[in-house]
Amino acid sequence: MKFTPLILKHLRRNWIRTLSTVLAMSVCILLFCTLHTVVEAVNFGLHAGNAGRLVTRHYVSLVFNLPINYKQRVAAVPGVTEVVANAWFGGIYRDPKNFFANFATEPEKFLELYPEIMLPEDQKQAWFHDRRGCIIGRKLAQRFGWKIGDTFELESSIPPYRVGHPFDFVVDGIYDTDEAKYPGTDLNSMYFDYKYLYEATSQRIGIGWLTEKIDDPKHAGAISKAIDAEFENSDTPTKTETEQAFLAGFVAMAGNLALLLNGIGLAVAFTILLVTANTMSIAVRERQQEIGVLKTLGFSSGLVMTLILSEALLIGVLGGLLGIFISVGILKVLPQIPMIGDVLAGYPNFGLSPATTAIGVGIALLLGLAAGFFPAMTGYRARITETLRQV
Amino acid sequence: MTGTQSAATTTAVSVQNVCKVYQRDSLQINVLDGLNLEVPQGEFVALMGPSGSGKTTLLNLIAGIDRVTSGRVTVAGTDLGPLSEGELARWRSRHIGFIFQFYNLIPVLNALENVELPLLLSSLSRRERRERALTALRIVGLSDRAKHYPRQLSGGQEQRVAIARAVVTDPTVLVADEPTGDLDHQSAEEILTLMETFNQEFHKTIVMVTHDPRAATRAHIQHHLDKGVLSD
Repeated sequence: MKFTPLILKHLRRNWIRTLSTVLAMSVCILLFCTLHTVVEAVNFGLHAGNAGRLVTRHYVSLVFNLPINYKQRVAAVPGVTEVVANAWFGGIYRDPKNFFANFATEPEKFLELYPEIMLPEDQKQAWFHDRRGCIIGRKLAQRFGWKIGDTFELESSIPPYRVGHPFDFVVDGIYDTDEAKYPGTDLNSMYFDYKYLYEATSQRIGIGWLTEKIDDPKHAGAISKAIDAEFENSDTPTKTETEQAFLAGFVAMAGNLALLLNGIGLAVAFTILLVTANTMSIAVRERQQEIGVLKTLGFSSGLVMTLILSEALLIGVLGGLLGIFISVGILKVLPQIPMIGDVLAGYPNFGLSPATTAIGVGIALLLGLAAGFFPAMTGYRARITETLRQV
Repeated sequence: MTGTQSAATTTAVSVQNVCKVYQRDSLQINVLDGLNLEVPQGEFVALMGPSGSGKTTLLNLIAGIDRVTSGRVTVAGTDLGPLSEGELARWRSRHIGFIFQFYNLIPVLNALENVELPLLLSSLSRRERRERALTALRIVGLSDRAKHYPRQLSGGQEQRVAIARAVVTDPTVLVADEPTGDLDHQSAEEILTLMETFNQEFHKTIVMVTHDPRAATRAHIQHHLDKGVLSD
């Protein structure tokens, strides 16, 4: 502690250099904390998938529909207790930037399969009996200020669903969830009756995918195989997987997101390491004579090395704390930004976790230590007579 | 003027048959060659000689900031040869006060903090360190400049702060390498008077390297070095 004033004074010696190094370090840490939080949120969202539900889609791609009669055949597979037909409508509300997820489904069975979608009974009944009715998530309702009874139009971007006019809908229900019991439940989507879509398209469309409820999650693998075996030799083979695997597939469309983001983080961290190491090297080189004087006064090589390392560590700590502080601010603002906020809205408790903060501080300390190591060794090895000879 | 050697009962510095050889690439440079020197306790000794004669090398060996190639250096009763680097550093902090030609104050520390610097290695409390440093500054006549930084001091004032730093730990031996080399005549006189004060009033043993014959006259004993060999 008694050497702290000496360390601080050396950092203030060239405060512009110190400040820019601290800022560079803070950029590294804020990038790590922000990216890691996004990765954590995406991974968390994957956990929203239920182990007791399977998803069956076209083997090649979700883009291709399944025949209508597949529903009955899947329902007959041992272990399957309920089947729901679904389709991605891809509807646009006035402007593409107003994007929100909208699905066609079978209302009664959908609510049976998805207990996390909670509606008052009267709203359920209204939806069951209204072909043009829809239910929307609480956050979606807040976003557009929609209430029960409001109407709106969606026009699909998917060619088979374009019928020459928009589809109009009535808000029959606003659903919510128990976030403690069902974390990760999406409250930004809209669901409407599949029959509305089927009839409006003159019964020419198929099913986007089927969702199955199974009797025992432990049998998920066997039941999935059995379902796919049913259609193995048909024109439209299927791929059946757990809902979690299905959701993970969407993330995988963006490539290996974790690898990408971690790669970016590593590259930035390495660059900052070089910047900080360069700063420390210059600082130590400027003070060679001073190091000689300290050693003459009786400062041991080990103490000189410790002083230099402490300077580097302090830069790391200051940069780390600043980076964390800015990251907290950014993560608070991100959900407010249109489009980005919509994606993040499905992730409850989106924010800097204690674990990510601790890792961020750890990285800052490690970078400081690594950056200060070689300059500290230079100080350790400096010979008094040679350093004092320098002018 | 050669001073008479006082009949001191203890020897502060003993250099016995010391050789120092520097290796520069493939060249071996013999700087000191079988040198012997005794400095009695409480004496003020000047080492003179032409450039390259080995004066500063000898001073560095006495101060414990360099090592002999052969021979023995004993200062304040301690044979420096067997000491490890860490032991030597600790020994220096207690027994040596070094005064440099170019002052070598730490620019980011004010005068008081510079004087206090060697005391950071002691177990004194902050208050005790400050008190000692202020006392040292008072002795050199600069207590009113305690909060000033080196860039705010004249050359003579900087050297006085450096002297205060050298004496604050109450060392056994003061070693001075051309302490007036970078000063004007008046400042040089002030510094030499200060050093005489530390020798006569505080009984500090002083070994001073100098080119300046006028500075050398302040010492009691003068030794001449030429090509690594000492003569009186």
